[in-house]
Amino acid sequence: MTQEPLPFDHRPDPVLGAALRQALDPGDAAAFVAVVLARADETRAFAGSWHGVLARWARVGLGAAVLLALAGGYLVERAGATGGTPSVTEALIAPRAQAPEVEVVLASVLEP
Amino acid sequence: MKPDSQPPAPAARIPQQDETALVARARAGDHAAFGALAERYAGVARRVARAVLGDPDDADDAAQDGFLSALVKLEQYDPRRPFGPWLLRIVANAATDRRRRRTVRRVEPLDPGLVAGGTRPDAAAERRALSERLRQALAELPERRRIAVVLFDVEGYSHAEIAAVLGIPEGTVRSEVFHARRRLRVSLADWKGEG
Repeated sequence: MTQEPLPFDHRPDPVLGAALRQALDPGDAAAFVAVVLARADETRAFAGSWHGVLARWARVGLGAAVLLALAGGYLVERAGATGGTPSVTEALIAPRAQAPEVEVVLASVLEP
Repeated sequence: MKPDSQPPAPAARIPQQDETALVARARAGDHAAFGALAERYAGVARRVARAVLGDPDDADDAAQDGFLSALVKLEQYDPRRPFGPWLLRIVANAATDRRRRRTVRRVEPLDPGLVAGGTRPDAAAERRALSERLRQALAELPERRRIAVVLFDVEGYSHAEIAAVLGIPEGTVRSEVFHARRRLRVSLADWKGEG
């Protein structure tokens, strides 16, 4: 520090550095670190509780989804089962899948 | 009065391997590992924050915010890079944010003895007065310049590392350190001249 340095002196100035260090001396490091760690614990605890809340919501949501899926499956199956056995009226009015052959129709007309 | 001239303390100089292992453990939730990192970087983080904020209590709050922010962001840290500059960038940003949020800037009055060039009864008082003068001179510098000179002359970081902390080119760091030194040396020279 006693000599005028080169414009871009790449070495630290020990005298100026020591004076600045003294001027910026932060004091008790142990107390500071203790506060940092306490706040870190709070942060982690909060993060933990937040994850817990999310996990609980996820479990509830998963349960609801399973119930909905089961209920939906049941309804679909029930609807499918009902559609497979038509009532007597439905069977009587339902159109035939294939039209009868011409000979059969004529025979039914010609027969007394 | 002349402060002890010692090279920058190697407090922030941790072997990369140790550091990487500590960070990995802290990332995994190891309380002790995070504590070890906090212990090792507490000094430099607090000094950088104080260089930005001036007030020691504000500086400690900002440094704590920086550590906690780093803890939350630990997943984003690239272990191939040194931890110190990464952490200090977060701390410096926390200090800058706090400074911006301060609506009313607290101006600490100069020691009357300093203003009047008064007598200095003992060595301890001299040291306190010199420190006060340096803090005042530091406060007059642009924020980036303060951080640069503290990291370079007090903490022994290289220009490249400071460039990483500040997010500016190395050449700009050299220039900032140069200008800061020139201003601080004038302040110290005036002090000696008065003595």
